[in-house]
Amino acid sequence: MATAVVARPVARPQARARDEEVLVWPDLVFIEFIAAMLFTITLFFLATVMNAPLLDQANADVTPNPSKAPWYLLNLQELLLHMNAAMAGVIIPSIWLGIMAAFPYFDRENDGQGVWFGTERAVKITIISGLVGIIGTWFLILWDSGKIAFFLNDWFGLSGGDNLRFLENVRSMQTQLPWPEWASDITYLPFNLKLLASDAPGGPTEFQNLDFPGWLVEQGIPIMAIVGLPSLMIYAMWKAGWVLTRRDALLALFSGFIGAYGILTLVGTAFRGQGQELVFPWELKVSEGIPGQE
Amino acid sequence: MAIETPTKPTLGDKIYDALFHNYVWKSIFRTGYPNTPRNQMLVVATNVFLHLHPTRIHRTHVKITHTYCLGGLSFFMFLGLTITGILLMFYYVPSVDRAYLDIENIQTNVQFGQMMRNLHRWMAHAMVILVFLHMMRVFYTGAYKPPREFNWVVGVILLVLTFLLSFTGYLLPWDQLAFWAITVGTNIAGSAPVLGPKSRFWLLGGLQVGPDALIRFYTLHVIGLPLLAAIFMAVHFWRIRRDGGLARPL
Ligand code: HEM
Repeated sequence: MATAVVARPVARPQARARDEEVLVWPDLVFIEFIAAMLFTITLFFLATVMNAPLLDQANADVTPNPSKAPWYLLNLQELLLHMNAAMAGVIIPSIWLGIMAAFPYFDRENDGQGVWFGTERAVKITIISGLVGIIGTWFLILWDSGKIAFFLNDWFGLSGGDNLRFLENVRSMQTQLPWPEWASDITYLPFNLKLLASDAPGGPTEFQNLDFPGWLVEQGIPIMAIVGLPSLMIYAMWKAGWVLTRRDALLALFSGFIGAYGILTLVGTAFRGQGQELVFPWELKVSEGIPGQE
Repeated sequence: MAIETPTKPTLGDKIYDALFHNYVWKSIFRTGYPNTPRNQMLVVATNVFLHLHPTRIHRTHVKITHTYCLGGLSFFMFLGLTITGILLMFYYVPSVDRAYLDIENIQTNVQFGQMMRNLHRWMAHAMVILVFLHMMRVFYTGAYKPPREFNWVVGVILLVLTFLLSFTGYLLPWDQLAFWAITVGTNIAGSAPVLGPKSRFWLLGGLQVGPDALIRFYTLHVIGLPLLAAIFMAVHFWRIRRDGGLARPL
């Protein structure tokens, strides 16, 4: 059977509008030159007043506490504190990069192209979902470090008693609930498939014997939060009539990501002291804080 | 149009002629000084560096607030890092015995050595930030939309390469900061399912951050990754031209 070749619209470069154009020399080259000069001067200034950090020679026997990755990876290191290492460090960032790369194949309309916030509602969606990302991530971090329960108790004298202890943070759902014995040893695959490295800190790593409470805490809840909460946000915005197009959905998703990413980076950098305890930046000894500020 | 009566050349004109219309200048630049539209277009079209640009662009794109020059500045950082990096390479030997001492040496004994190291460090941070901001500007101006889909993908690859460039450079001073940051970082990579431990081993050339890791990171940092980044940047810039310049409303 012959298959018909269906002609699809293919995006082509836009026709040029000659009468709207200016000459690259001098208009653009001038701007580029100024920008380059400004950066050169600023960087030279910075390099004069601030030295690149250099600590003692590397020593495999002396582990600084805390040990931190470079600042742009501290968002991942922060995630790592809340879930299975492979998930936080590799799987989630890889999937997210894949999703980002796929943006243009998901949203193929030309509306709002080439201008800042070019669609209706774009600014509103960006601000709201950015805030949701920022506040939501803050809240989750506070909760998981047990601070919420602590504040409730300390400031308002509220305590759930022992029955509600499992709500203190994520881990307490594993330790504070009366899980039956068998739940932490479920045989569900006939072969020993090692998908996640077995020496990864914490959590079930072999699929043969599933430690369900452990799995729930290390992977289940984090997956639900990371997939569920953004979906919920976009769904709510759709119901509210704000997110109507694919572009709108991407605006919400991306802005939420920027908010969450910013908070994760910030907390990982400035709010994590010894033993990766959550502390305020001013409680952080300078030497422990931002790498390089020793 | 009024008819211009030719005036006698002033001293300024004579100096100008001597500077820009002489045989040597013209052998290099072909055009005279670009002060007429014809010469301005010629200079962009005939100069290999300026030729990254088209000769004319849409007027909305020269507004600073459209791009904030972020992509261009990312590239500028890349160039600056290349220059300062080459200067640092003169003095730095990637061996566990020497690396740390070489850095100290650069800072104390080399003329402007501390300056070069500082510049290299701060430019690297600046590049990571600028590339990220550039991505945000492209997103919020909807510039990934057709026909620029693929250039956005190239951009995501460049983002990853920028992170990797910075990450591999982080180990080279071989101080406590470097050593433990890379230990933490590669542990993160090593936790990946299936390929994690293997890729960590491959990256470190062993099970621990040691001499083999140093030489691997060095090689990736000074040649492997910059080469890849340069190739992808070439594709990135080429595609901008092929896709009809920067995005603008239809
Ligand atoms: C090393 C990193 C990068 C360099 C040197 C670079 C350089 C540039 C330059 C010079 C431009 C011209 C316009 C401008 O300055 O904004 C540009 C445009 C563009 N870049 Fe990048 N870029 C990099 C990374 C990225 C990333 C991470 C993305 C997205 C994920 C991206 C996507 C794009 C797109 C889609 C355009 C076309 C924008 C338009 O048509 O308005 N680039 N890039």
